[in-house]
Amino acid sequence: MASTAERLRELIAENLEVDGQPIELPDDLNASLLEAGVSSMDLVAFARVVSQEFNVAFSPEDCANINSVQGLIEHLDSSAG
Amino acid sequence: MPMEASRHIPSFIAECWWHPFRKVGHATVLHVDLTAHAAREAEALAWLDEEERARWQRYQYDGPRRRFALCRAALRAVLCDRLGCRNEQLAFSASDHGKPYAVVQGKPAPVSFNVSHSGAHGLIAFAAAGRLGVDVEERRAPCDLDGLISSVLGPDEQAELALARGCHKLRLFFNFWTIKEALIKALGLGLSLDMSQFEIPSAMRQGKATSIFRFPQMPTVRWRLEDLGNEHFAAAIAHELAPDSN
Repeated sequence: MASTAERLRELIAENLEVDGQPIELPDDLNASLLEAGVSSMDLVAFARVVSQEFNVAFSPEDCANINSVQGLIEHLDSSAG
Repeated sequence: MPMEASRHIPSFIAECWWHPFRKVGHATVLHVDLTAHAAREAEALAWLDEEERARWQRYQYDGPRRRFALCRAALRAVLCDRLGCRNEQLAFSASDHGKPYAVVQGKPAPVSFNVSHSGAHGLIAFAAAGRLGVDVEERRAPCDLDGLISSVLGPDEQAELALARGCHKLRLFFNFWTIKEALIKALGLGLSLDMSQFEIPSAMRQGKATSIFRFPQMPTVRWRLEDLGNEHFAAAIAHELAPDSN
Protein backbone atom coordinates (compact mmCIF):
# COMPACT_ATOMS: atom_id res chain seq x y z
CA MET A 1 0.00 0.00 0.00
CA ALA A 2 1.30 3.47 -0.90
CA SER A 3 2.64 5.56 1.97
CA THR A 4 0.89 8.73 3.07
CA ALA A 5 3.65 10.80 1.43
CA GLU A 6 3.26 8.95 -1.87
CA ARG A 7 -0.52 9.38 -1.88
CA LEU A 8 -0.11 13.06 -1.04
CA ARG A 9 2.42 13.46 -3.83
CA GLU A 10 -0.19 12.24 -6.30
CA LEU A 11 -2.94 14.41 -4.85
CA ILE A 12 -0.72 17.50 -4.93
CA ALA A 13 0.23 16.85 -8.55
CA GLU A 14 -3.42 16.33 -9.52
CA ASN A 15 -4.97 19.17 -7.55
CA LEU A 16 -2.54 21.98 -6.82
CA GLU A 17 -1.09 24.44 -9.27
CA VAL A 18 0.75 27.72 -9.33
CA ASP A 19 0.13 30.09 -12.24
CA GLY A 20 -1.70 27.33 -14.10
CA GLN A 21 1.16 24.83 -13.80
CA PRO A 22 0.91 21.70 -11.64
CA ILE A 23 3.27 21.73 -8.68
CA GLU A 24 5.33 18.94 -7.20
CA LEU A 25 5.76 17.87 -3.62
CA PRO A 26 8.37 20.29 -2.27
CA ASP A 27 11.87 18.90 -1.60
CA ASP A 28 11.63 20.25 1.92
CA LEU A 29 8.51 18.68 3.42
CA ASN A 30 8.56 21.29 6.18
CA ALA A 31 8.06 24.06 3.63
CA SER A 32 4.73 25.86 3.73
CA LEU A 33 2.40 25.27 0.78
CA LEU A 34 1.29 28.90 1.07
CA GLU A 35 4.91 29.97 0.78
CA ALA A 36 5.26 27.68 -2.24
CA GLY A 37 2.71 29.97 -3.88
CA VAL A 38 -0.47 27.93 -3.41
CA SER A 39 -3.43 30.26 -2.85
CA SER A 40 -5.59 30.04 0.27
CA MET A 41 -8.56 29.17 -1.94
CA ASP A 42 -6.68 26.24 -3.47
CA LEU A 43 -5.60 25.14 0.01
CA VAL A 44 -9.19 25.07 1.25
CA ALA A 45 -10.21 23.06 -1.83
CA PHE A 46 -7.22 20.75 -1.32
CA ALA A 47 -8.13 20.13 2.33
CA ARG A 48 -11.51 18.95 1.08
CA VAL A 49 -9.90 16.55 -1.42
CA VAL A 50 -7.49 15.16 1.20
CA SER A 51 -10.31 14.80 3.70
CA GLN A 52 -12.31 12.70 1.23
CA GLU A 53 -9.31 10.66 0.05
CA PHE A 54 -8.13 9.75 3.56
CA ASN A 55 -11.56 9.84 5.19
CA VAL A 56 -10.24 12.24 7.82
CA ALA A 57 -12.05 15.35 9.02
CA PHE A 58 -10.19 18.66 9.34
CA SER A 59 -11.34 21.16 11.91
CA PRO A 60 -10.60 24.84 11.26
CA GLU A 61 -7.95 24.61 14.00
CA ASP A 62 -6.33 21.69 12.16
CA CYS A 63 -6.21 23.74 8.97
CA ALA A 64 -4.56 26.61 10.83
CA ASN A 65 -2.03 24.40 12.58
CA ILE A 66 -1.02 22.28 9.61
CA ASN A 67 1.23 24.58 7.64
CA SER A 68 3.49 22.11 5.86
CA VAL A 69 3.29 18.84 3.96
CA GLN A 70 5.15 17.16 6.83
CA GLY A 71 2.53 18.47 9.27
CA LEU A 72 -0.19 17.11 7.02
CA ILE A 73 1.48 13.68 6.80
CA GLU A 74 1.75 13.52 10.60
CA HIS A 75 -1.87 14.58 11.04
CA LEU A 76 -3.11 11.96 8.57
CA ASP A 77 -0.96 9.19 10.06
CA SER A 78 -2.05 9.98 13.61
CA SER A 79 -5.72 10.17 12.56
CA ALA A 80 -5.43 6.77 10.84
CA GLY A 81 -3.52 5.17 13.70
CA MET B 1 -2.57 61.25 -10.02
CA PRO B 2 -0.95 62.25 -6.69
CA MET B 3 1.68 59.83 -5.49
CA GLU B 4 1.32 60.34 -1.77
CA ALA B 5 2.54 56.86 -0.95
CA SER B 6 5.77 57.15 -2.92
CA ARG B 7 7.15 60.58 -2.14
CA HIS B 8 10.26 59.14 -0.54
CA ILE B 9 10.91 56.07 -2.59
CA PRO B 10 14.48 54.84 -2.46
CA SER B 11 16.64 56.66 -4.96
CA PHE B 12 17.63 53.50 -6.81
CA ILE B 13 14.01 52.71 -7.72
CA ALA B 14 13.68 54.27 -11.13
CA GLU B 15 9.92 53.94 -11.37
CA CYS B 16 7.13 52.87 -9.08
CA TRP B 17 5.21 49.70 -9.81
CA TRP B 18 2.60 50.62 -7.21
CA HIS B 19 -0.04 53.33 -7.53
CA PRO B 20 -2.99 54.76 -5.56
CA PHE B 21 -6.06 52.61 -6.16
CA ARG B 22 -8.79 53.58 -3.70
CA LYS B 23 -9.52 55.45 -0.47
CA VAL B 24 -11.89 53.54 1.81
CA GLY B 25 -12.81 55.60 4.85
CA HIS B 26 -9.53 56.19 6.66
CA ALA B 27 -7.74 53.42 4.77
CA THR B 28 -5.68 53.81 1.61
CA VAL B 29 -5.40 51.02 -0.94
CA LEU B 30 -2.58 50.80 -3.48
CA HIS B 31 -2.44 48.59 -6.54
CA VAL B 32 0.86 46.81 -7.20
CA ASP B 33 1.69 45.79 -10.77
CA LEU B 34 3.06 42.24 -10.54
CA THR B 35 3.59 41.51 -14.22
CA ALA B 36 6.96 39.94 -15.03
CA HIS B 37 9.61 42.66 -15.12
CA ALA B 38 13.22 41.63 -14.44
CA ALA B 39 14.55 45.14 -13.80
CA ARG B 40 11.85 45.91 -11.23
CA GLU B 41 12.42 42.61 -9.47
CA ALA B 42 16.16 43.31 -9.25
CA GLU B 43 15.40 46.73 -7.77
CA ALA B 44 12.93 45.21 -5.34
CA LEU B 45 15.43 42.61 -4.15
CA ALA B 46 17.93 45.30 -3.23
CA TRP B 47 15.30 46.82 -0.93
CA LEU B 48 14.68 43.57 1.04
CA ASP B 49 16.52 42.59 4.20
CA GLU B 50 18.51 39.39 4.64
CA GLU B 51 15.60 37.39 6.06
CA GLU B 52 13.31 38.45 3.23
CA ARG B 53 15.90 37.56 0.61
CA ALA B 54 16.24 34.10 2.21
CA ARG B 55 12.46 33.72 1.98
CA TRP B 56 12.59 34.89 -1.64
CA GLN B 57 15.12 32.16 -2.39
CA ARG B 58 12.96 29.49 -0.77
CA TYR B 59 10.15 29.99 -3.27
CA GLN B 60 10.19 27.11 -5.76
CA TYR B 61 8.46 28.95 -8.58
CA ASP B 62 9.16 32.19 -10.42
CA GLY B 63 5.68 33.69 -10.11
CA PRO B 64 5.34 33.54 -6.31
CA ARG B 65 8.98 34.66 -5.95
CA ARG B 66 8.35 37.71 -8.13
CA ARG B 67 5.07 38.59 -6.40
CA PHE B 68 6.67 38.40 -2.97
CA ALA B 69 9.62 40.62 -3.91
CA LEU B 70 7.60 43.27 -5.74
CA CYS B 71 4.91 43.46 -3.05
CA ARG B 72 7.32 43.46 -0.10
CA ALA B 73 9.52 46.18 -1.63
CA ALA B 74 6.45 48.31 -2.38
CA LEU B 75 5.23 47.78 1.19
CA ARG B 76 8.63 48.82 2.55
CA ALA B 77 8.65 51.99 0.47
CA VAL B 78 5.10 52.86 1.54
CA LEU B 79 5.71 52.21 5.25
CA CYS B 80 9.05 54.04 5.30
CA ASP B 81 7.32 57.02 3.75
CA ARG B 82 4.43 56.89 6.20
CA LEU B 83 6.51 56.23 9.30
CA GLY B 84 9.37 58.55 8.37
CA CYS B 85 11.97 55.86 8.90
CA ARG B 86 14.84 54.51 6.86
CA ASN B 87 14.51 51.16 5.13
CA GLU B 88 17.16 49.53 7.32
CA GLN B 89 15.20 50.59 10.44
CA LEU B 90 12.09 48.75 9.29
CA ALA B 91 11.51 45.05 9.99
CA PHE B 92 8.50 42.75 10.10
CA SER B 93 7.30 40.38 12.76
CA ALA B 94 4.20 38.17 12.82
CA SER B 95 1.42 37.28 15.23
CA ASP B 96 0.82 33.69 16.39
CA HIS B 97 -1.42 33.13 13.38
CA GLY B 98 1.11 34.62 10.97
CA LYS B 99 -0.31 38.11 10.43
CA PRO B 100 2.65 40.43 9.82
CA TYR B 101 3.14 43.76 11.55
CA ALA B 102 5.78 46.44 11.15
CA VAL B 103 8.56 47.00 13.67
CA VAL B 104 10.75 50.10 13.69
CA GLN B 105 13.90 50.02 15.77
CA GLY B 106 12.54 47.11 17.76
CA LYS B 107 9.09 48.56 18.54
CA PRO B 108 5.72 47.82 16.87
CA ALA B 109 5.03 50.71 14.47
CA PRO B 110 1.82 52.78 14.66
CA VAL B 111 0.42 51.61 11.35
CA SER B 112 -2.02 48.95 10.31
CA PHE B 113 -1.57 47.25 6.95
CA ASN B 114 -2.40 44.17 4.96
CA VAL B 115 -1.23 42.78 1.61
CA SER B 116 -2.74 40.40 -0.91
CA HIS B 117 -1.73 39.29 -4.37
CA SER B 118 -3.07 37.11 -7.15
CA GLY B 119 -1.56 36.69 -10.60
CA ALA B 120 -0.52 40.08 -11.93
CA HIS B 121 -2.24 42.10 -9.22
CA GLY B 122 -1.29 43.04 -5.69
CA LEU B 123 -3.11 45.26 -3.22
CA ILE B 124 -1.63 46.98 -0.17
CA ALA B 125 -4.04 48.53 2.32
CA PHE B 126 -2.87 50.71 5.19
CA ALA B 127 -4.31 53.01 7.84
CA ALA B 128 -3.22 54.68 11.06
CA ALA B 129 -5.31 52.40 13.25
CA GLY B 130 -7.86 49.57 13.23
CA ARG B 131 -7.30 46.02 12.10
CA LEU B 132 -7.25 45.69 8.31
CA GLY B 133 -7.69 42.87 5.85
CA VAL B 134 -7.56 42.95 2.07
CA ASP B 135 -7.95 40.21 -0.49
CA VAL B 136 -7.56 40.13 -4.26
CA GLU B 137 -8.24 37.18 -6.53
CA GLU B 138 -8.03 36.82 -10.28
CA ARG B 139 -11.26 35.06 -11.26
CA ARG B 140 -9.93 31.64 -12.31
CA ALA B 141 -12.52 28.86 -12.16
CA PRO B 142 -11.60 26.43 -9.35
CA CYS B 143 -11.72 22.67 -10.03
CA ASP B 144 -14.55 22.06 -7.59
CA LEU B 145 -16.58 25.25 -7.32
CA ASP B 146 -19.58 23.54 -5.74
CA GLY B 147 -17.36 21.85 -3.15
CA LEU B 148 -15.80 25.18 -2.23
CA ILE B 149 -19.22 26.79 -2.00
CA SER B 150 -20.40 24.16 0.48
CA SER B 151 -17.15 24.47 2.49
CA VAL B 152 -16.88 28.21 2.94
CA LEU B 153 -20.32 29.76 2.51
CA GLY B 154 -23.18 29.93 4.99
CA PRO B 155 -26.74 28.79 4.16
CA ASP B 156 -28.05 32.17 2.94
CA GLU B 157 -24.93 32.75 0.84
CA GLN B 158 -25.30 29.28 -0.68
CA ALA B 159 -28.95 29.97 -1.45
CA GLU B 160 -27.94 33.17 -3.22
CA LEU B 161 -25.42 31.32 -5.39
CA ALA B 162 -27.88 28.52 -6.15
CA LEU B 163 -29.89 31.04 -8.15
CA ALA B 164 -26.88 32.11 -10.26
CA ARG B 165 -25.49 30.37 -13.33
CA GLY B 166 -22.23 30.24 -15.30
CA CYS B 167 -20.03 33.34 -15.27
CA HIS B 168 -22.36 35.18 -12.93
CA LYS B 169 -22.12 32.36 -10.38
CA LEU B 170 -18.31 32.41 -10.59
CA ARG B 171 -18.21 36.19 -10.25
CA LEU B 172 -20.55 36.12 -7.26
CA PHE B 173 -18.53 33.38 -5.59
CA PHE B 174 -15.29 35.38 -5.92
CA ASN B 175 -17.10 38.43 -4.63
CA PHE B 176 -18.25 36.53 -1.50
CA TRP B 177 -14.86 34.83 -1.05
CA THR B 178 -12.83 38.05 -1.14
CA ILE B 179 -15.10 39.77 1.38
CA LYS B 180 -14.89 36.80 3.77
CA GLU B 181 -11.14 36.40 3.26
CA ALA B 182 -10.62 40.12 3.91
CA LEU B 183 -12.56 39.73 7.17
CA ILE B 184 -10.59 36.73 8.43
CA LYS B 185 -7.33 38.42 7.43
CA ALA B 186 -8.39 41.55 9.31
CA LEU B 187 -9.16 39.46 12.37
CA GLY B 188 -5.73 37.85 12.02
CA LEU B 189 -6.88 34.31 12.76
CA GLY B 190 -6.17 32.78 9.37
CA LEU B 191 -7.90 29.55 8.51
CA SER B 192 -8.62 28.79 12.17
CA LEU B 193 -11.87 30.69 11.66
CA ASP B 194 -14.48 28.60 9.86
CA MET B 195 -15.59 30.80 6.95
CA SER B 196 -19.00 29.12 6.77
CA GLN B 197 -19.83 30.23 10.32
CA PHE B 198 -20.44 33.86 9.39
CA GLU B 199 -22.24 35.47 6.46
CA ILE B 200 -21.60 38.75 4.71
CA PRO B 201 -24.37 41.37 4.93
CA SER B 202 -27.34 40.67 2.66
CA ALA B 203 -27.04 44.14 1.08
CA MET B 204 -23.56 43.23 -0.23
CA ARG B 205 -24.73 39.81 -1.36
CA GLN B 206 -27.23 41.64 -3.51
CA GLY B 207 -24.71 43.99 -5.08
CA LYS B 208 -24.21 46.91 -2.70
CA ALA B 209 -20.54 47.94 -2.73
CA THR B 210 -20.15 48.72 0.97
CA SER B 211 -21.62 47.76 4.32
CA ILE B 212 -20.98 47.50 8.05
CA PHE B 213 -20.42 44.03 9.46
CA ARG B 214 -20.33 42.45 12.92
CA PHE B 215 -19.11 38.92 13.66
CA PRO B 216 -21.85 37.05 15.58
CA GLN B 217 -19.27 36.11 18.25
CA MET B 218 -18.16 39.73 18.79
CA PRO B 219 -21.14 42.00 18.07
CA THR B 220 -19.61 45.12 19.59
CA VAL B 221 -16.81 45.31 17.00
CA ARG B 222 -17.83 46.88 13.68
CA TRP B 223 -16.06 46.37 10.39
CA ARG B 224 -16.37 48.50 7.30
CA LEU B 225 -16.51 46.31 4.20
CA GLU B 226 -16.01 47.48 0.66
CA ASP B 227 -16.02 45.61 -2.62
CA LEU B 228 -12.92 46.66 -4.59
CA GLY B 229 -13.43 44.39 -7.58
CA ASN B 230 -13.22 45.46 -11.21
CA GLU B 231 -13.09 43.76 -14.61
CA HIS B 232 -9.59 42.40 -13.92
CA PHE B 233 -10.03 40.90 -10.44
CA ALA B 234 -12.29 40.39 -7.44
CA ALA B 235 -11.16 42.21 -4.29
CA ALA B 236 -12.43 43.48 -0.97
CA ILE B 237 -11.28 45.29 2.15
CA ALA B 238 -12.38 44.97 5.78
CA HIS B 239 -11.40 47.72 8.25
CA GLU B 240 -12.20 47.77 11.95
CA LEU B 241 -14.07 50.91 12.89
CA ALA B 242 -13.22 52.89 15.99
CA PRO B 243 -15.87 52.34 18.71
CA ASP B 244 -16.92 56.00 18.65
CA SER B 245 -17.06 56.44 14.85
CA ASN B 246 -20.33 56.80 12.97
